[in-house]
Amino acid sequence: MRRFIWPAVLLALVIVYPLVLSTPFQQRLGALVLLYAIAASAWNIVGGYAGQVSVGHVVFFGCGAYAAMGAYAHFGLPPLVGVPAGMVLAVVIAAVIGVPTLRLSGHYFSMATIAVAELVRLVVTNTDYLGAAVGLSGPTVPRNVFDLSFVSSLPFYYLFLVVLGLTLLITWWVAESRMGFYLRAIKDSERAARSLGAPASRIKLQAYMLSAGLTSVAGAFYAMMVGFVDPESGLGILISVKMLIMAALGGAGLLFGPLVGAAILVPLEELSNSWLGGKGAGLTFVVYGAIIVLIARFQPSGILTLITRRIALITRYIERRTKARELRKQRPAAGADHAA
Amino acid sequence: MRLKNVLGLVSAAALTLAFTAGASAEDKVVKIGAILPMSGNAASAGIHAKAALEVALDIINNAHPELGNFPLAKNAGLAGLGGAKVEVVFADNQGSPATGQNQALRLITEEKVAALIGAYQSGITLTTSAIAEKYGIPFLTPESVAANLTERGFKWFFRTTPIATDFAKVYTDFLADMKAAGASTESIALVHDNTEYGTSVAGTLTTAFKEKGQNILDISYASNATDVQSQVLQLKEKKPDVVLMISYTSDAILFAKTMQAQDYKPAILLADDAGYSDPSFIKAVGKISQGAFNRSSWSVGPQGSATAVIADLYKKKSGDDMDDTAGREMQGFFVLVDAIDRAGSTEPAKIQAALRATDLKPEQLMMGYKGVKFDDKGQNILASGVIIQLQDGENYVAVWPKANAEKPPALPYKGW
Repeated sequence: MRRFIWPAVLLALVIVYPLVLSTPFQQRLGALVLLYAIAASAWNIVGGYAGQVSVGHVVFFGCGAYAAMGAYAHFGLPPLVGVPAGMVLAVVIAAVIGVPTLRLSGHYFSMATIAVAELVRLVVTNTDYLGAAVGLSGPTVPRNVFDLSFVSSLPFYYLFLVVLGLTLLITWWVAESRMGFYLRAIKDSERAARSLGAPASRIKLQAYMLSAGLTSVAGAFYAMMVGFVDPESGLGILISVKMLIMAALGGAGLLFGPLVGAAILVPLEELSNSWLGGKGAGLTFVVYGAIIVLIARFQPSGILTLITRRIALITRYIERRTKARELRKQRPAAGADHAA
Repeated sequence: MRLKNVLGLVSAAALTLAFTAGASAEDKVVKIGAILPMSGNAASAGIHAKAALEVALDIINNAHPELGNFPLAKNAGLAGLGGAKVEVVFADNQGSPATGQNQALRLITEEKVAALIGAYQSGITLTTSAIAEKYGIPFLTPESVAANLTERGFKWFFRTTPIATDFAKVYTDFLADMKAAGASTESIALVHDNTEYGTSVAGTLTTAFKEKGQNILDISYASNATDVQSQVLQLKEKKPDVVLMISYTSDAILFAKTMQAQDYKPAILLADDAGYSDPSFIKAVGKISQGAFNRSSWSVGPQGSATAVIADLYKKKSGDDMDDTAGREMQGFFVLVDAIDRAGSTEPAKIQAALRATDLKPEQLMMGYKGVKFDDKGQNILASGVIIQLQDGENYVAVWPKANAEKPPALPYKGW
């Protein structure tokens, strides 16, 4: 029973958040946290659990974003229709680029994924069908509820919450399955895993394709919320970097790591921009960058580890005190016995 | 057990968010939100635009009798609102459409701005104005030129700047006059980058020139190119009568240098504003680009005129000479504040009505538009431009149309 108390409290908190902090900006911020958490959690499967640091995940993000906007721009369909299309596209592209690049190890894999991402961005920038440099827009005025064009961010918030829940469920299931054990073994030492008979190439590719499909969902919802995608906002390398930083900051390879990372970074970025952005000179990024550097310096394994350790300390302290109090209670009682 | 730990963090994040709420509206102050790129690729433009708005604020909020009959200058504050002062809340769009939207939402719902202005990049103007439309807040863009912005059926969106179709008209009319004066204008090379600006303007111009029966040679290059030899060689081989440059600053400088290195001079070199209007372009390669024509809506005008005074104030504020982009920004802001002044209210619907009723004459403007008057889509139908030319040194002089000309146009292109 106790196992479920904390998850239930967390869930309740996340559900009531936009009702308690209910200004439109706070609600939108909440929705963005969840959206980035979806992307970072998807990245976490291959980047965190398997230790294959992909810096090209924005390609899959872009697949989703372009599929959603393309469904509207070219076929007049609700952007939502683009979600499955984007997933299929992302999985196929992941297979195509995964087969050659996943053979590379360490930095070489990261570099190859950057190259692919930049290549895709340049190709899209010069492809008229995808709006070239101008980009594609979604429905300007919602035609019906399926266009997902709301004034309030509340529907987005709960939609993203459900998608994040599913993403985390899939991640949890993968992590607990045989595949999860293979992935962790590959992360620790691919050579050792192979020599023990782990089908490393196949497992890595599967994880990569799964991760790609989920990332594309985040991209599609991003484009639907913003109502627009262009090569910079849908395929810019910074989006990959954001996924990576959020997962690493929260705790890569931990189920809730990316969520924690997003819950810290997204508000930090938006609020520092709100407070300092108008003053010019990019002060926002100085503050934002400095905090990341500090965390990387003092807690490289992620905030979640830090918190876990702090909480463990506090729990132990509380346990010790309660135990001591119980002992003290027992002792006078024992003394009274003696006196009697 | 990990979940337990997440909890603390989420509550901490929630607490931080709680502090963002609540901003109180003050009396006698009209707040306007400005969303501009203060960081990222376009930061320089955003920071100059900010300086331009601050000069405009000075003119509006303080008495400036030296500006004569220039609207909003004579008395301090807004006469229509009992001398209320205007305040601009600046926000950085960071070059991202999503961030632009977040800031628009914040400015509307927390800063309670009466209207929005911005957002420089067309893609960001597209997304931020969608938020303003949903909330029913007037949004005026003084500088984004993408054609689709005014084709969305928005009711709260206004644009003062000339757009590609206006440029096309300026160029076709100008080239027709040059042809009448004896120049050959049969074939035109459109040299453009592959950004949203370059491709969309080139597309519109191609259609316009083809309608006039002119031959088009389309030469595109990657933005921020490090080498444009092959493009210049192509020009040298095809020998178009007119070379029309649609380029940002660094590319424009590179083209000027490469043209000199390859000893290539077209008969007419015409530039589409942007890079060629940047003060750093003139500093770097002005001397080897003599005779270049350029489109602009800004010219300083004679000493003592309102435009000269404004140019002077701007130079003091920013340290740079006023250019077309900063000028259009400032002009758009004046149009917006003039509408609020006439509305006599900060109610969005009244400002919207006042904007629709805008009818400013050329003498009430600082830019060389034929006036400001919006059509149903929110586009200024009187937006236009003049042609300027680099003559004798490092200054542009207005050469076309005749009514605005300080000097006659000089042909052919001299180069260095």
